[in-house]
Amino acid sequence: MFRTMRIYRRSLGAHFRSLLEYEADFWVLIVAGAMFNALNLLFLSAVFAHVPALNGWSYAEAVLLMGVWSVIGGLSPLFFEGVWRLSWMVNQGTLDYPLVRPAPVTVQVFSSGIGLHGVGDIVTGGAMLGWALFHVDVDWTPLTVVIGLVLLASAATIHLSIIAITNAATFWISGPHPFLAIAVHTFEDMIKYPLTIYGAGIRAVYTFVVPFAFVTFFPVSWLLDRSAGWVGLLGPLVAAYCVWLARTVFRRGLRRYDSSGH
Amino acid sequence: MKPYLSMFLMSARRTFAYRLSALIGWLGGGAILISSLSVWHALLGEGAIAGYDWPMMKAYLVVAWAAGSIGASQGDWRMADRIREGHVATDLTKPVDYQGSRFAEHAGGLATEIPAILIAASAVIAFTGSIPGPANVFLFLLSFACVVPLKFCFTYLTAMLCFWTHNFMGISWAKDAIIWLFSGGLIPLSMLPVWLSVPASLLPFAGITATPAALYLGQATGAEAARLLGLQVFWVLALWFGARLLWRGALRALTVHGG
Repeated sequence: MFRTMRIYRRSLGAHFRSLLEYEADFWVLIVAGAMFNALNLLFLSAVFAHVPALNGWSYAEAVLLMGVWSVIGGLSPLFFEGVWRLSWMVNQGTLDYPLVRPAPVTVQVFSSGIGLHGVGDIVTGGAMLGWALFHVDVDWTPLTVVIGLVLLASAATIHLSIIAITNAATFWISGPHPFLAIAVHTFEDMIKYPLTIYGAGIRAVYTFVVPFAFVTFFPVSWLLDRSAGWVGLLGPLVAAYCVWLARTVFRRGLRRYDSSGH
Repeated sequence: MKPYLSMFLMSARRTFAYRLSALIGWLGGGAILISSLSVWHALLGEGAIAGYDWPMMKAYLVVAWAAGSIGASQGDWRMADRIREGHVATDLTKPVDYQGSRFAEHAGGLATEIPAILIAASAVIAFTGSIPGPANVFLFLLSFACVVPLKFCFTYLTAMLCFWTHNFMGISWAKDAIIWLFSGGLIPLSMLPVWLSVPASLLPFAGITATPAALYLGQATGAEAARLLGLQVFWVLALWFGARLLWRGALRALTVHGG
């Protein structure tokens, strides 16, 4: 386990250093990542200048939800960017290299890239999250903090697992670009708003089929003690299920991999 | 004119060749349309905001989404990649105008973008009920037609920055974010704080969403409509010829390795 972690860290570190070579690009990416979050926040601020609540959610509550989404969304480019290159590796046959090296294939794939715009997401999202936590009405106890952190970790796990699963679809849907993953990822962006604003069909799909609701809506509802907030406590279970599914899909997929036949 | 026409047709055919990627692109665009419709539906449930009621806002969002779709099937990457990889050197040897050729390609995307816009608009009507029609069809279409060259100019100008920088992704995102905010795509400009809405109404970005939407909804009529259209046309010309100037400087910064 420690060895795996070390390999992951060193591989990621190598990619990070290679990015630092182009200092201007480094800053452009971080700022660009931050800009979209700033605009989402501006949207909420402009709207809440006219209305007191969005579907029963106050300004601070809506900002909290959006902050959670930005922080979690920023984790994937920063620590998981390599998985987006899987379809290219499979298509070109370069997945052969990780397969013959003495380290877990997934670790090598996941750490084969780093997207610095994630820093912008995490910094701006963290600021939103921090500000909102001071302004929402929560009865803080040590237990709330612990459960909150567990739910946040579960949310991140669910988000990353779904990215891994949709990208692993490339073993079945051939092609150099992860179209399915990109499409699903775009739809995930809808969870920056409270799920209740959407129709029943979307709510059902986001809860039972692709459990994006457990990334932002349910854990935040739990923290704010809203109705059906208890569903948020199922987060760790959903996360475990997603990890299991990602693992299974990845293993089956790897077994199907037959190189590109040079 | 003939070479540009064939480039236009070729580009139209290319988007059909990459059907799956185009389809996924539209699906992603659909997600944006769904989330913006849903959030406004929830917000406007209590009553109108800043003069926008639900049917009006629906029309606004469809116009904004349609404007966002223009150029989307071509993406920003084609020209940027050719500059970064040095293929632009072969483009330069061709006896056609570079900017004109890129514009012909950009416009070729309309072959898939216009049907997509019509499908999206029909879907919105089917799922959420009717939306008000354009207050003045002629003025709206005139203004919407200006969106095509306007968006082209922004893409072209940003791609040209690749002559100086290597990372296009960050620049392209920054451009998208700026257009999103200042065009009225994020939120109608009148709902922004004054220190943002006043400069936004004068900048060229307003021509992408705010102006066609204002003409569609009939918020601007008579002299005001003429002023808005005039400003839009002014910016199209200014950016088009500004891009030509920048292009001359950019060529001096071009380095192509190998050969």
